[in-house]
Amino acid sequence: MTQLTEATTVLSAINAYEPWYVQIIKTLIIFVIGFSLVPLALLYERKLLGRFQNRPGPNRVGIYGSLQPMADIGKLLFKEQFKPRGAIGWLFVLSPLIAMVSALATFMLVPFSGAPQDILGTDVGLYGLDSDIGLLLFFALSAIGAYGVLLGGWSSASKYSFLGAMRAAAQLISYEASQALALLGVVMTAGSLSLSEIVDQQGDQGIWFLVPQIVGAFIFFVATLAEINRTPFDLLEADSELVAGFMTEYGGGRFALYYVAEYVHLIMAGAMFSTLFLGGWHIPFWQDAPGFLDPFVVLAKTVVMVSIIIWIRATLPRVRYDQLMSFGWKILLPLATLNALVTAIVLVAF
Amino acid sequence: MDEILFFVAGIAAIVAAAGTVLLRNPFYAVLSLVVHLLSLSLLFLLLYAQFVAVVQVMVYVGAVMVLYVFVNAYVGGSEEPRGGSAPTLKMFSYAIAVTLAVTIGIAVLGTGLKAIDGAGPENIPASFGSPANIGELLLTKFLLPFEAASFLLLVAAIGAVVLARRRRGVLTGEERIVSAMDVLAPAGTGSMREGVGAINPNPGARSVRIAPSTGAGAPGESADPPARDTTEGTR
Repeated sequence: MTQLTEATTVLSAINAYEPWYVQIIKTLIIFVIGFSLVPLALLYERKLLGRFQNRPGPNRVGIYGSLQPMADIGKLLFKEQFKPRGAIGWLFVLSPLIAMVSALATFMLVPFSGAPQDILGTDVGLYGLDSDIGLLLFFALSAIGAYGVLLGGWSSASKYSFLGAMRAAAQLISYEASQALALLGVVMTAGSLSLSEIVDQQGDQGIWFLVPQIVGAFIFFVATLAEINRTPFDLLEADSELVAGFMTEYGGGRFALYYVAEYVHLIMAGAMFSTLFLGGWHIPFWQDAPGFLDPFVVLAKTVVMVSIIIWIRATLPRVRYDQLMSFGWKILLPLATLNALVTAIVLVAF
Repeated sequence: MDEILFFVAGIAAIVAAAGTVLLRNPFYAVLSLVVHLLSLSLLFLLLYAQFVAVVQVMVYVGAVMVLYVFVNAYVGGSEEPRGGSAPTLKMFSYAIAVTLAVTIGIAVLGTGLKAIDGAGPENIPASFGSPANIGELLLTKFLLPFEAASFLLLVAAIGAVVLARRRRGVLTGEERIVSAMDVLAPAGTGSMREGVGAINPNPGARSVRIAPSTGAGAPGESADPPARDTTEGTR
């Protein structure tokens, strides 16, 4: 923050030092990549779920069903945009947008490479934003994302949507506390809130934080499942109770936006876990791997984590609402607090 | 760009703050407050207080306001104000408003106006506003206020739990000893039937009776008392 030109003052407050055109190009690339990962994740989930349930999964559109997501998206986009009579129009339209934009925005925080890469003569860090408050930005963005769900359910003027939204409010707040507390251990071990610094520290200390922070990793993983509404904790759209929860009244393109947000959340959960606990771009036992491998390593780890999340969806049934709440507040939160305390004591003592 | 952002955020903050007070529908008032807090966080960012800016969004927008929306969606949402205030209450609120205005006025006139003439601080240290900097200050220079504030919040949290237990009763009927084993291995199978109390009259460990309790709770408030109470308690 020493040498600042006038135009970059604001951005540099969150450590964005690169020229403005690089920032804009990066934003576009992240948006495009984030968006195009969604159909892949969609197909991957359906195929994998199919294999888990001993059936082929989608296999009619394209080779091995590879164009199925395109067919799905095409169908959704050409459907009629309807809205219930009592719905509050502008909120009803705005909510899916909030959900999608805030989900895609978290994608900018994932660091895909260590040292800045030389692309066409310009040094470009392979991340959207390497801020010294990166981890907090992640939580802030997911907090804004909660409004997409909450307002969407409320403005639909439907009981099912309303119940889904209210469940969302309670669930997201409950598990955000554990999620954030679980990461305190990582932050203390790394000594930084910057995501790329956390990955660097895992390289420097020669150990992935999964090992010293195994409890934190477990809590973070479970809380993240609840945050992104994945199956044991997908109560806000529990289809056996609430039709489709907060998105009951949505159809067509607006439903597609919620869908995009959901799958970006899924990918982000994998990416964040691999960044925080699985050493990001580091390859075990290969210290000086060439820099161009870094993004692929991050992606590979992300795919592993996404597969685990899908595996859980194929395996576990949905928990009951009171079980969800008591588990969050009475098991996860004390455990996360204890983890932070023990980590602090160990770090100070040794 | 600084100036543009400042005016956008400043105007949005003022308009949204006015909207919070003036809008009749409580739900829109809360949404307006959300916009106000978001604009404030942008203003914090312009002041190099990036940590405060993000925490503002995390805590206020992400947690406190979600609870406001939650409560409003349950009990509010009507265009009509819910009955008039008692005259003493009205007098009291006027008094508080005037006191607050005078206090803020003194603070602004006393310190804030000096900054308009100057060009701002000469050298901002690179670590200014960073989490490390704030953490260090909180544990050295501002240790006492920090601890006092956290103690106050703790008292408020415990008070909220006690009040909630007295009013509606988190645990109605017989008090049960809390055991982690109950949650790990709930009685019965954990099925839906058990959940509504058909098999096991006192299902699970921390189960909420779905049937409305006979206590003083308002009708339609049987949804999930423990969740709300505990979330309020942590604020």
